[in-house]
Amino acid sequence: MKLRSVGAWLGLFTLFLALPVYAHHSFAVYDHTRTLTLRGTVTKFQWTNPHGFIELDVAQPDGTTKHWSIETTSINMMQRLGWRSNMIKAGDKLKVVAAPLLNGDPAALLLEVTFPDGKKMEPGVPGANSFIRTPDPVEYK
Amino acid sequence: MTASSRLATAIVTGFLVSGSAGAQGVPSQARPVPDITGSWQRLGATVGVRPTAKPDPKLLPPPAAQPVLKPQYQQERQQRLQAIREADAKGQPLANHNVYCIPDGMPAMMNAVFPMEILQSRGQVTIIAEAYNQVRRILMDRPQKTLDEVELTFYGHAVGRWEADTLVVDTIGIKENVRFQNTPHSAQMRIRERMRLVAPDILWNEITIEDPVTLEQPWTFTYAYQRMPDYTLLEYICEDNREYSDEKGLQQIRIAK
Repeated sequence: MKLRSVGAWLGLFTLFLALPVYAHHSFAVYDHTRTLTLRGTVTKFQWTNPHGFIELDVAQPDGTTKHWSIETTSINMMQRLGWRSNMIKAGDKLKVVAAPLLNGDPAALLLEVTFPDGKKMEPGVPGANSFIRTPDPVEYK
Repeated sequence: MTASSRLATAIVTGFLVSGSAGAQGVPSQARPVPDITGSWQRLGATVGVRPTAKPDPKLLPPPAAQPVLKPQYQQERQQRLQAIREADAKGQPLANHNVYCIPDGMPAMMNAVFPMEILQSRGQVTIIAEAYNQVRRILMDRPQKTLDEVELTFYGHAVGRWEADTLVVDTIGIKENVRFQNTPHSAQMRIRERMRLVAPDILWNEITIEDPVTLEQPWTFTYAYQRMPDYTLLEYICEDNREYSDEKGLQQIRIAK
């Protein structure tokens, strides 16, 4: 097939844009323009559908602790990517890269987790590349 | 082995008995039918599926068409799609059925966001969608009921028969609030499906939706699925959904303290 005109290419591109991403649940509540890098201690790993959650206590510079709920995708998707429920347990120290809620509440969407041994995993968020990553301030120094 | 001979082998080795027992349990003549039993995932799906090798482009169906609705329903659909886009852009998505742990129903379940399983047994073809543990029962070789005889449900009343190498399915009785791609439909919607193997492990399902109330013309599109011999469907229970709908119908999330 040869597309000779810019218009035809534009049409194809528009068609591509119009194709819906079929997902069950919208992640539009999360900020797509920045990410947080959080280092904390797991208080609970909720292994459920429709989505899982990593509950994380994050030490603050003033000595207090801030609690974050880190939402994952469906545990079925995660299992197909190699995740298991026993990979995270209370007390584990993790680093997560996550997109925060737009409304400022302390929850975020997991994009990448780093385990204590340095291994990284992603939960397969649809359109994960559409989330703009903010450099980790700790590693950026 | 060529693709066509492998396909023939799949049909012959999948020696299943079609219509072996009618509604009254009277055996009819056994004949081989294609073997479509197994786990499948939709070709082209990018969410929730396992990565697979790029399929032969010839095995991909044509791009899906949009519905041609009567003006008032077209307007209703466009307004809904616009409202969804605007709400998403504001970061305040509208709560959809999944926020209430309600499954997709027909025909959306055939979109197979997660894998699905097809089982062929005596007098019935069963389709199970992994997402939300959805189950469809296609009753083989029996007449379709009238709309008056069935209750409206998520999966409707489905009857099927093999026409040569094609499983032909007729489904009626879908609840009006069970929406596919935000498309309004009436209780008179009828879903016709034609499923056939276009390669030993590639199944096409040509779906035609008819609705004398809402559609100007039948809406036809095709899904293709790839067989996954080594995949067993996982359980899916919407067990603890921390999404909820607020008083404005917007999707919110429950945060642990």
